Amino acid sequence: MECELRLDGVSKRRRDRSGRSVEVLRGLDLEVPAAQLTVIIGPSGSGKSTLARLLNRLEDPTSGSILLRGTALQRLPLLELRRQIGLVPQQPFMFPGSVLDNLQLPFRYRGIPLPTASDDRLRGILDRCGLAAELLEREARTLSVGQQQRVSLARTLLPGPAVLVLDEPTSALDRPTGDRLAETLRTICRDERLTVVMVTHDLRLAERIADHLVYLEAGRICETGSAAQLLQHPASRELRQFLAGTGGGDA
Amino acid sequence: MSSAGIIQLSLGDLAGAFGLILLAAALARLQGAGQGRDLLWSALRMVAQLLAVGYLLHFVFALDHPLPIVLLLLLMTAFAVQTVAARVRRRMPRFYRIVGGAILVGCGGSTMIFCTLIIGLTPWYDPRYLIPLAGMIIGNSMTGASLAAERLAGEMAERRQEIETALCLGAPARLAAREGVRNAFRAALIPSINAMAAMGIVFLPGMMTGQILSGTEPIVAVRYQIAIMCVITGSVAATTFLILLFGARSYFVNEHQLREEVPAEG
Repeated sequence: MECELRLDGVSKRRRDRSGRSVEVLRGLDLEVPAAQLTVIIGPSGSGKSTLARLLNRLEDPTSGSILLRGTALQRLPLLELRRQIGLVPQQPFMFPGSVLDNLQLPFRYRGIPLPTASDDRLRGILDRCGLAAELLEREARTLSVGQQQRVSLARTLLPGPAVLVLDEPTSALDRPTGDRLAETLRTICRDERLTVVMVTHDLRLAERIADHLVYLEAGRICETGSAAQLLQHPASRELRQFLAGTGGGDA
Repeated sequence: MSSAGIIQLSLGDLAGAFGLILLAAALARLQGAGQGRDLLWSALRMVAQLLAVGYLLHFVFALDHPLPIVLLLLLMTAFAVQTVAARVRRRMPRFYRIVGGAILVGCGGSTMIFCTLIIGLTPWYDPRYLIPLAGMIIGNSMTGASLAAERLAGEMAERRQEIETALCLGAPARLAAREGVRNAFRAALIPSINAMAAMGIVFLPGMMTGQILSGTEPIVAVRYQIAIMCVITGSVAATTFLILLFGARSYFVNEHQLREEVPAEG
């Protein structure tokens, strides 16, 4: 299995609200396989979101390194790295202007030609993300949260990243909308041979779409493996408790 | 500017004027505004500070040497920075270095341009011109600096999500923070714009009034007032621009990473 991203002893310390230094991530070693959907699951406060932020360098680890196809992230020019590793933040943020304006932003920021409303790739991605072409002219901020989440996803996909990282993409969505988004991710990952890393606390969602599962708790990776293996036969006490506590899985 | 024919104020006259402060304090007490003590304390501070400045200026004028004048201007700058620091609730990272540098360069540059190129002072340090002009320029720029620093801190905190989304989409730091910086610049320039628009109609500016009181022809005083307003506006813009340029950068750890704050979620 080809490895797209590799974490070597990644730790992150930061100050909490009272100013104390806390270790949010503790010595993570992880290999993220290429063209597969890896779900990082864990209770809230486990450090999942921080891990997502380290992957496109919104923050840097305190120690350890992250490699993209063998090259340390720090050695790639930051703006180029973010073109290759796209992060869809937890809360979709729509900039003033139409949906098309929002989709064009990454191109505008990079000073490269803007895709037009009739662009084939743009149309294809809209379609995949379940957005009707008529929405392009709509003021982005008037859309529902579910639609905004889809625009946010389309906006990150459009420049063609090699890795897509999503931070709790369904947390703001109701269940049917969340499920549709999950299906979308599944299809995009398979059809575009895109490496997808998704962070979530939603076990049901993970079960549905993950190829590969990572269980994170208290800043440590407790267990990794195929989704079927982890959910059917959890080896660690932590994962067993998590599965029992959230009422999902067969454990 | 001659002081011939000007009516001297005796200490007794001043005591009379002070009676009006007592009236203000009494009215404040009557309103139950709880400001009586503040009023009197501020008035006492004013008296002490102005007397000190009066003697200091008297001394510096008599020396007629550039060194004490430059020192005095630096002292004024330091007080201005301290005032800005006291006024803003949230200070940007590297606050003193940025605000101090911006006021020094923005106000210093504008004052020098005004004194040497526009009014052509000889010697360049003539304290009778340099000190009051620099005082007005620094004072107004200080207000602009407070507004800019305060607004920038607010914008950067409020727009965290927006800025990080822009960074995720490949924006360099400069573009990601652009909207907030723009708003801060606008906010800082509003008082200067309003002051110019209302000048002469709503109020007669202090410098012009002072010159007229001390016997200058109104037409000459008006020309000075126009010139100083232009310089003040230029200085406010330059100081604000510098604060925002370096201030916005100070919120980023390196070129395109926002400085960490309290995390939203683990």
